[in-house]
Amino acid sequence: MILLDYHNVVIEETLTQPIVNVIPTALDMIVVDFDSVSYHISTSESTSVIKFSISMQCYKELVQWGAQDMLQREYGPYCVSNTEEGYDFTLEFNLQNLPEDKEQREGLVKKLALIKRNLLAQPFERAFEQQAKFEEEKQTNPVSDLMQIHYRDQEAIYIQAQLDRVTVIFSTLFKEETDRLFGKVFLQEFVDARRRPNLQNAPQVLYSSKEPPLEIRHLPELKNANKNEDIGYVTFGDVREKTISQIQLFRDYLHYHIKCSKAYMHSRMRARVQAFLKVLNRAKPELPNVEKKTITLVILYI
Amino acid sequence: MRSNTLRPYLAAVRSTLTAALCVENFSSQVAERHNNPEVEARLSSLEVVVNPLTISRNKHEKVLIEPSVNSIRVSIKIKQADEIERILCHKFTRFMMIRAENFIILRRKPIILVDFIIQFMEEVDKEISEMKLSLNTRARTVAESYLLQFT
Repeated sequence: MILLDYHNVVIEETLTQPIVNVIPTALDMIVVDFDSVSYHISTSESTSVIKFSISMQCYKELVQWGAQDMLQREYGPYCVSNTEEGYDFTLEFNLQNLPEDKEQREGLVKKLALIKRNLLAQPFERAFEQQAKFEEEKQTNPVSDLMQIHYRDQEAIYIQAQLDRVTVIFSTLFKEETDRLFGKVFLQEFVDARRRPNLQNAPQVLYSSKEPPLEIRHLPELKNANKNEDIGYVTFGDVREKTISQIQLFRDYLHYHIKCSKAYMHSRMRARVQAFLKVLNRAKPELPNVEKKTITLVILYI
Repeated sequence: MRSNTLRPYLAAVRSTLTAALCVENFSSQVAERHNNPEVEARLSSLEVVVNPLTISRNKHEKVLIEPSVNSIRVSIKIKQADEIERILCHKFTRFMMIRAENFIILRRKPIILVDFIIQFMEEVDKEISEMKLSLNTRARTVAESYLLQFT
């Protein structure tokens, strides 16, 4: 599996039974997703009401860019005002009030599995709208706000609409020296791979490890941070709308593959050490073949 | 070119090790009924420790052989051309260090032990460059399949 799915499989599987097949089941589970997003799915005592809560680090920032409207639009009838404690947003499903049509119910579960993607897509959609407006009005020097989403501690996505493109910048933190080096190899390949003829239409990728890119260099939080080598910046230019889902997962994709290569190296080294040991054990000296004798007492009577 | 210079280097290491491995049982001169590897313990007078010897292929790859009357110590410097090789080498050596107890070198047949060391030196290099290669290949595939989604 090279590419990651952007819907949450666990949510889909868990909710298929109660929502699609309308079979009440007792549920109380916490499901996690990328970028420290977690969901809490629980049922009331009667198991006919399912509560679905989501906690997201950057929820407050997303609300600024219209996440609330999207939630009302997509999940409107299920929104409840009393949010579960410790979570950012709660939906409630009464099994008696679900849509009649099975296909609609399936669609609902699918939509729930995509909730993180939909939330995070808000600033992207906003940026595309802005960019379309710039193009229509032929503004030569458009001013658009730089949208910041701090989706993890010390890591953020920056999105800005420009006249002919939307720029997305990821900052990512590598916790380990190995990760940083592996990340550098991977990111360099991203920059190089785009030169291939069949990838000419892909968004432009730029990568820098010390200096933040021009677009975000003025931000106070980056000015204060001294040039930390552990942070990399990846800039995607000219991003198109259909790519929102994939681009959101860029960080997870990169880190996933870094971890995978580390695991692969580990298994290789394990095999190699085993082979070395085999060679070394050939040098074992043979045990001296001495017949061991027990003491026997022989008494001779003469 | 590479294998051409590798062969005389390994040959030199092999013959030095063969010569150095003429060790014999040697009781400690300090403590009664003790028998320590002299090259490590350095308890007795220095006459039992022979001059150490370095064989270098270039400034990145060399072997230090320290012989003594009843033991020898071999240290190998593995080539680390760039950051990736450095980190892979560090990982690999650390990996073996953790498993040091499995690598019982003491009291082994000397000739086959020399074979082992030579094979080790050959394969460590090979392994590290193969790992580096596989990392690059993976990175390329990963980047391409990600970007292909956009086209």
